[in-house]
Amino acid sequence: MKNLRRGLLVAFMALLAGIVVRAKGRSPVPPTSGGWRELEGPELR
Amino acid sequence: MSAVLLVGTGQVGVRAARQLVDTPGLDRIWITSRDASRAADLVEAMGERAAVHPSARGPRPQLPDGVTGVAAATGAPEAYRWVRAAVEAGVPVAVVVDDGFGELEATATERGVAVVTGCGLGPGLTEVLARHAADTFDVVDEVHVARVGAAGPACIEAVKDARRETPGEWRDGAWRTDRAFGPELLWFPEPMDARECQLVRNGVAACIATVPGVRHATSRLGAPPTVGRFRRGLGRDPKDQGWGAARVEVSGWRDGRAGSVVYGVVDRTAVVAGVVLAVTAAGLVGGVDAGIAVRAGVRTLGEVTAPVPFLTELGRRGVKAAVFEGVVPH
Repeated sequence: MKNLRRGLLVAFMALLAGIVVRAKGRSPVPPTSGGWRELEGPELR
Repeated sequence: MSAVLLVGTGQVGVRAARQLVDTPGLDRIWITSRDASRAADLVEAMGERAAVHPSARGPRPQLPDGVTGVAAATGAPEAYRWVRAAVEAGVPVAVVVDDGFGELEATATERGVAVVTGCGLGPGLTEVLARHAADTFDVVDEVHVARVGAAGPACIEAVKDARRETPGEWRDGAWRTDRAFGPELLWFPEPMDARECQLVRNGVAACIATVPGVRHATSRLGAPPTVGRFRRGLGRDPKDQGWGAARVEVSGWRDGRAGSVVYGVVDRTAVVAGVVLAVTAAGLVGGVDAGIAVRAGVRTLGEVTAPVPFLTELGRRGVKAAVFEGVVPH
């Protein structure tokens, strides 16, 4: 019983740690300088 | 008469069938699949120019009488059986699979049959874009291709396999595998944006064949889309379900000055692969002028394709490439 409780506690703490890491890890994508433009006209000649 | 046999009715096969039927220069399209009922359904949807060709289980499938080209939208080992059958029948073939056809090289060359491999998003369109970018330089130093997304279950498995294999890159005329490789954040056209991609060996050989003499070539693959409902719910981007993108960066020297060009494309992976395969097959049989050179032997798409007419034809069918303007993001 004691082992089961200890196991559940470890699992719960691991779950909490996972949630924290996941939430903190969601950083915004770093900005880029420039953008994409469709190939057209002279670029396809 | 131009008539194409389409092998496979998966995600790519269905899209390729529509593209072949919509090609006025083709008189007849046969469709064959291990799933006979699916082939029959597809033929019914494609109209009167399409017909079912029975699939053979044996090692040597028979091609329909009068067929002038084969488009193989199926994975190994099915693709090998049909490509071998096409070569033995003297019929040019375009196939989505990009490796494992080396043993057919001698036979294909001797019989004057063109075998174009890797007719998908990447390898495939990525090499055409690499060739297009390379044509803007006097000397090409580096070619780096990357892809995210997968067309269907077979394609997802292929991505997983490629990411599990020992990675490799081409540097100064030799393969190198002695570096510690980690994923790299790469920018693709919107809406795919930034994705972590892992160095793989798959696709590098096609780059080298397309841009001979390149000093440094690499290929990267993003994480495959998750298919399980449980894992999908754990925060994966919904764009992973069917969407794909490719990015090609080429650097070199032009008029004595260093420079780089980045091309990209984003769309449904199966749509891009289906269009690329269909246009290649139609080009091989003269059903469309897409800049495909019919050269005997086993070749990559980048080797036999003139980029401008090919990209123009793809654009006409809704698959449009983009160029990155600004500071090249790594």
